[in-house]
Amino acid sequence: MKSVSPRNLRNAVVVFLVTGILLLAISGFLRPVLGVVMDPFISTQRWLSDRFMAVYDYFTLPRDVTDLLVRNAQLEAEVSSLQTQVIQLQEQLQEADVLYSLLDFARARPQDNYVAAAVIGRDPIPFLHYLIIDHGTDDGIQHGMPVVTEQGLVGRIDAVTAGAARVQLITDPGSVVNVRLQNQNSEGQIYGSVTGEVTLGMVAQNVNLSAGEILLTSGLGGNFPTDVFVGQVLEITRSDNQLFQSASVQPVVDFDTIRAVLVITSFRSVNITPLIPALGP
Amino acid sequence: MLSNLISIPVMLVLSVLQMTAISRINLLNGSADLILLTIAAWGVREKNSNVFIWALVGGLIISIATAMPSFSPLAPYLFTSIIARLLSKRLWQAPILALIITAFSGTIFQHFFYIILLQISGIPLDFPESVGNVTIPSLLLNFFFLFPIYVIMGDISKWVTPEELYA
Repeated sequence: MKSVSPRNLRNAVVVFLVTGILLLAISGFLRPVLGVVMDPFISTQRWLSDRFMAVYDYFTLPRDVTDLLVRNAQLEAEVSSLQTQVIQLQEQLQEADVLYSLLDFARARPQDNYVAAAVIGRDPIPFLHYLIIDHGTDDGIQHGMPVVTEQGLVGRIDAVTAGAARVQLITDPGSVVNVRLQNQNSEGQIYGSVTGEVTLGMVAQNVNLSAGEILLTSGLGGNFPTDVFVGQVLEITRSDNQLFQSASVQPVVDFDTIRAVLVITSFRSVNITPLIPALGP
Repeated sequence: MLSNLISIPVMLVLSVLQMTAISRINLLNGSADLILLTIAAWGVREKNSNVFIWALVGGLIISIATAMPSFSPLAPYLFTSIIARLLSKRLWQAPILALIITAFSGTIFQHFFYIILLQISGIPLDFPESVGNVTIPSLLLNFFFLFPIYVIMGDISKWVTPEELYA
């Protein structure tokens, strides 16, 4: 039998001892012993680490704060820029919505040609109700052309330059539009006023006028195309000793918030003034 | 000379501001008139005797933009400048009082002038309705904008016509 060499025996003893110690350590039996041995080292290491970090922070923290402040300023500027972009995009989205609506209106009336224009101002005199739009003769706009939105009638071109035009609204005190009642075989006229209210007049007494009646352009007079939505009858004023009925009208267009309009460039207003017989001897 | 020339860009900027922004700030149907207030604020300063030039420039620019009969806005602005000059000489120790009286009388004259002019032009304006819904609210809005404009015009006045230093 071959005898075990002392060297191998020593190695085996060492392996057994190490394995045994490891198993004891893993199973927790050596914790009190290790605690007594390791605690001073751990305490020393913690003390040293705290002091080192304090010194490290002393040298590095001011630079980090400066960096953070710079970074914060950059981020705030970026947020501000993004907020501006969001507002601009929201504005563009609103414009796009308006333009899509105008496009829908134009598609619904393919027989006409249109020029879309943005509203860029109002008449500086508060007695008058006029808009200023950003397209003029360069885009084919001429005096007298009707102006609409996707909702209905806005007015007509009153004056025009190369790059801009002035639109007389149907709410202007000098505006008169010939209309027809959609559900009645009758016609009338709507007038603007200094307060922006619109009144229906010249409706015969025998017409059964009712609230909610829809008003469309009649085309009489040659100033506006036919069948453009104008508004609805609100409140009727009827008196037996008057020749005609009158009523307040709710225009279909909100003139306070109007942002873009369509000019019907294919429509030419007709000047019927020479055909009207002159009064006098 | 500079105080005459500066009236052109100032009035152009103000007229654009008037048409794009101020005309949309309404109280009932009234709105402030920056041109009139500027003329009043410029004219009540004793050294600004060229206020008539300012009124002329402002009136011409507004005449181009508005649908009122041709050059009619010139009249109320010139009237305001005359009132401003008269009061600046008589109330030189109380420029704020002169300013308020000028703005008030200028606004009243302007609106009555426009109402009469539009009625002559064949536009049926109801006088009490016009005064109640347009003139009085415009007056209130004009007083709201009057003092900021007075301060701004004071700065412009000091810039274009610096006071002489006596040794």
